[in-house]
Amino acid sequence: MSTISRTLSNLRKIGIKEYWHQLNYIGDTKAGTLVGVDKFGNKFYENNTDELPLRTRWVDYAQHDFDAGHIEPLWRSWISYTIDTPPTLDPIVQATGDRPWAPKTHVPNQTFTRAAFKTYNTTKPKMESWKPFAAPK
Amino acid sequence: MLASARTGASLALRARPAAQLLPFRAAAASISSSSRKDAASPHGGAVLPHGGYGLAKRERKEVPLPSQEGTKGLVQYALTTLDIITNWARQSSLWPMTFGLACCAVEMMHLSTPRYDQDRLGIIFRASPRQSDVMIVAGTLTNKMAPALRQVYDQMPEPRWVISMGSCANGGGYYHYSYSVVRGCDRIVPVDVYVPGCPPTSEALMYGIFQLQRKMRNTKITRMWYRK
Repeated sequence: MSTISRTLSNLRKIGIKEYWHQLNYIGDTKAGTLVGVDKFGNKFYENNTDELPLRTRWVDYAQHDFDAGHIEPLWRSWISYTIDTPPTLDPIVQATGDRPWAPKTHVPNQTFTRAAFKTYNTTKPKMESWKPFAAPK
Repeated sequence: MLASARTGASLALRARPAAQLLPFRAAAASISSSSRKDAASPHGGAVLPHGGYGLAKRERKEVPLPSQEGTKGLVQYALTTLDIITNWARQSSLWPMTFGLACCAVEMMHLSTPRYDQDRLGIIFRASPRQSDVMIVAGTLTNKMAPALRQVYDQMPEPRWVISMGSCANGGGYYHYSYSVVRGCDRIVPVDVYVPGCPPTSEALMYGIFQLQRKMRNTKITRMWYRK
């Protein structure tokens, strides 16, 4: 969804450097207000007036090889429209307190890294492999 | 003749002499040869027994670290660029073979609807395995369907990937103890990405596709060919 006039007007708002950055990561030209930054340095933006529904909130990831798992859990609920206000201000988040059940630090997805989960078995196998045996003639 | 020319060129282009790589090659060769000898001696090498449950019996495999892999020369630089181009082409036109078997297939269909909009990622569902790159196994794989799944997988051209979607395809799931269900489609085909859930949301499947794209991005195609 992009017209030349929208791209040009947003380009005037955000500048050529941010335009190039967004083109490489989002693939679109968007202008909005910076709502907050999470612990990992991901920047969250919002524009409720000019953007289409479900495109009003977006994130500028801190890492180059980005992944949706890099977002902090409460910011993830903000960006997927579960809560209305950012987690620093949200009444529901304030009501839950310090969330003692949640892990203290968020660990992003470790798939395809060295820390990836590999299944293992510590019990004795119930089956034995068949060992082929040929009787001498 | 070609092989000798290639090794000659590689030796000429290497910044450090190839002798530094030799210890790793020698170590790898000795390990592989010894394991082959051990496995082959009792039964004449015809049939290898299926071994290795648990941690204790697994054989140690020596792999050089990425930091020990040797110098990066001009050829590696060119091949890295070639890999980037190839991987970009692969990951941005991902044509899945839709192997919809059960309710997970409904979530897979939701991926193609405007809210998630797989077309913007270059993902187009194909009905023919001969035109597809990735197979999304969505749903319970029964014993009766398993030969068909394998046949469809064999009909797909290389390179090919498999996404196992949902608990049933991952490991049998709810039907794990059923007499007619395969306990995971990785018993039939090699799986790249497992998407958990019962059924996984369309977002979860799309996240799995992103993980597969990351795997493609990190694939060393021509560089591994050059290492041989």
